[in-house]
Amino acid sequence: MAGLASAFGSGAMTNSISEIADARVIFVVGSNTTEQHPMIAMHMLEAVDRGATLIVADPRKTQIAAFAHTHLRQRSGTDVALLNGIMNVIIGEGLVDINFVRRRTENFDEFEKVVKRCTPEVAEKITGVPASDIQRVARIYATEKRSMLFYSMGITQHVTGVDNVRSCANLVMLTAHIGQPMTGLNPLRGQNNVQGACDMGALPDVYSGYQKVADARARKKFESAWRRKLPSAPGMTMIDMFDSALEGKLKAMYIVGENPVMSDPDTSHVIEAIRKLDFLVVQDIFMSETAELADVILPAVTFAEKDGTFTNTERRVQKVRRAVRPMYGAMPDWKIISELSKKMGYDMGYRAAHEIMEEAALLTPVYGGILHHRLDAFGLQWPCPDADHPGTPFMHRKKFAKGLGTFNPIEFTPPDETTDMAYPFILTTGRLYFRYHTATMCRRTATLEREEPECFVEINPKDAGRIGLRSGNFVKAVSRRGEIVVKALVTDRTPEGIVFIPFHFREAAVNLITSPAVDPVAKIPEFKVCAINLVPVIPKPGERPKNRYNRKEDLKILNELYEEPEVPS
Amino acid sequence: MKGDLVLSKAHLSYWLRQLRKEADLIGPLRSTDGDIVFSSVENIHDIVADGPANLPCQKEFLFPQREEMYKFSPKGTERTGNHKKRVIFGIRSCDVSAVGLMDTFYGGQYEDDFYMERRKNTSFISIACNTPDSSCFCIGLGTGPFLKEGFDIQLTDLRDRYMVQVGSAKGRQMIKGFGHIFRRPKKADYDDQYEANLSSQSKFEKRITLDNVRRKILAGKVPDSFWEGVASRCFQCGGCVYQCPVCTCFNVVDWKDGGGEKGVRMRIWDGCMFKGFTKMAGNVWPAEQIAARTKRWYFHKLLYWPGQSGKFGCVGCGRCTITCPGKIDMATVANRLEKKD
Repeated sequence: MAGLASAFGSGAMTNSISEIADARVIFVVGSNTTEQHPMIAMHMLEAVDRGATLIVADPRKTQIAAFAHTHLRQRSGTDVALLNGIMNVIIGEGLVDINFVRRRTENFDEFEKVVKRCTPEVAEKITGVPASDIQRVARIYATEKRSMLFYSMGITQHVTGVDNVRSCANLVMLTAHIGQPMTGLNPLRGQNNVQGACDMGALPDVYSGYQKVADARARKKFESAWRRKLPSAPGMTMIDMFDSALEGKLKAMYIVGENPVMSDPDTSHVIEAIRKLDFLVVQDIFMSETAELADVILPAVTFAEKDGTFTNTERRVQKVRRAVRPMYGAMPDWKIISELSKKMGYDMGYRAAHEIMEEAALLTPVYGGILHHRLDAFGLQWPCPDADHPGTPFMHRKKFAKGLGTFNPIEFTPPDETTDMAYPFILTTGRLYFRYHTATMCRRTATLEREEPECFVEINPKDAGRIGLRSGNFVKAVSRRGEIVVKALVTDRTPEGIVFIPFHFREAAVNLITSPAVDPVAKIPEFKVCAINLVPVIPKPGERPKNRYNRKEDLKILNELYEEPEVPS
Repeated sequence: MKGDLVLSKAHLSYWLRQLRKEADLIGPLRSTDGDIVFSSVENIHDIVADGPANLPCQKEFLFPQREEMYKFSPKGTERTGNHKKRVIFGIRSCDVSAVGLMDTFYGGQYEDDFYMERRKNTSFISIACNTPDSSCFCIGLGTGPFLKEGFDIQLTDLRDRYMVQVGSAKGRQMIKGFGHIFRRPKKADYDDQYEANLSSQSKFEKRITLDNVRRKILAGKVPDSFWEGVASRCFQCGGCVYQCPVCTCFNVVDWKDGGGEKGVRMRIWDGCMFKGFTKMAGNVWPAEQIAARTKRWYFHKLLYWPGQSGKFGCVGCGRCTITCPGKIDMATVANRLEKKD
């Protein structure tokens, strides 16, 4: 988000899903697309069927990587070096779109100086990707007109997350792969409405439509609409909130539809912070690990029980309609919030979701023409400034949202934690196809639960051989913060030196050991790189092997929180 | 054919209204969002009788996605029954054929009480399909677009009237006592019906005969590498299985309440495309590779079904073609196999 905003002035997928099938080059960086965005992967494979070249950069050999014509397996956390290497080739071989760079962008010279230093050979040393592959990818990506670039959490969940995104932005500007159909820089958003939440200003520093809190004019507009004085300083990020709760400065927290105990790095730190709070309210549809700690739990309704809109990854605002009656007195989120606000002395007075949308349209330029009655068939893609505007399938056509696009010179910086003798493996975390986030929902579904019942650590056969591990063995994963016990899965999907653990399982909550290091700008935690050690759990002769994960003594802090889950067997 | 009747379209709603007095009338209705769904009919004029071919599957009414089997408590168990009489209006010929296949599975060697109970209480008024779309291929399987047998009542749209064919005792029950609205067909009616049939046949884009495919597989001409290629495109979404009107797999789960003492035993749809479907004790996964599972699905439909009942386990409804994100549906795979040497 922050990375794209600084380059283009707006953070979202620049192009549309329907364009993918007609692209000629598809470059996917740090996205397990087939598992996490299968519907988008479907369009990518369609493009491949029609003769497009697919390039995937991911240390793991994911399903989408199996389809790739070129698979770059960079070391975790070296994306900047990889992209700089590619851009070095593009500049060196004269593949830059000079016209575009002159007319539409700024700060190229500064940027060029930095990239010039990162030759493919230098990049090879850092990333482990052969220089010849870097050269080939650069040539393919730059010379084809219809090249789309995609990225996801593999790019953002690093201490250099913002730098990674900016590097991607540099790449598309350098080759003018933006502002036209079948091009662009396309972050794939995971949840159905994470784009919508960002658009509506669920970020500490912006109002809806990315209007800055610090901007006096924007603030004034909201002040007059809401008839209240509004603070001029940006709020805190989630990570900052937990830190200041720990310091005792933050006293109360109201968490809506999030489960930070499971999803945030360094679980013990989060739990400790929450315990320090005087008052915690959690609003959610199911009981979660975080809700267990709450003073008050407000039951919200699920997607099928409410009216409103979701905004998907291609900026398309789509209507969701109530299909079933809310259960057990649960209320839609907007209603809970406005009732609460009324009790606290400010009557919002909304009677339905479309009234809120009307206000959002009035106050948000990019949502100006997005009103419920216009969304019936296919929804609308923002920017949509007025009620006659047909929506925008691809952005930045004539100029960038902020005017000129900015090249940001980015030097490679290594991840926060590097491996050493004591912690020789890089741990990267991620998701599984049959699991959704912290599993508060999918664990209640018998079929999904059956498909991936157990947590595991993916480890390369060579590494496994070295430490004497076989598939199915229990292994202790130890980091500087804690340890968990998981089963080993020996596979060449993960390269040597890197291991992978999914984060969905509370009986082996990987975030007990992940690194709390965050990106200095976006405050996104570095889930993709943390140094760990693996110690096989070998039962002593005569002792029966442990047949379940982390017993109480291993996982004290989480076990205090919950009973065994009520799972349909 | 003897026993055929003609019903003026003006009398259709009267007839359905009378039928609704005896049973719950289910029909294709347009929802507020424009989708067509099968549900209980409130207002008969809302029924979309001339909608597209790819309607939602009627499987839901005979084999629900989630079905209560027993309630249990320390006092004992109690069987949950479903005796609601239903008339389902407007399903297409392919789905009628699918119900026939379901009957041979659930009512064959082992009779499934839950299915049979619903089946006994359900009658169908189907429509001979004159709107096949690009995904349909029932014509190559003989499961549509119009049927010679296997239906309760089959209607053929003749613009201002329907040809009504009665194919079962349940069908006869539904026209009994309505002599005042039906009349015997004349030669012109049969001519129009013949024309409707011809026009329907000409609309099919896909011409697939699974016989050739079956022979090829039996002759050992399809190596495992072919199935690996197919499986590499599988997203394991289960859409093919859930949408298929012939797929019958289910899983049994207990929903416990009150500390596990009481609860409900349910059966829910399951799919052989899932890894855990054949999971065994001791963490053995017999079909861990996706290729083994996709191959099994196709073999079941193309080899095992014909082996057991003489009919393919596919009716050519084309729903998997519409659903499959990886484009490895029955029609596509059959086409590829047919072209393969």
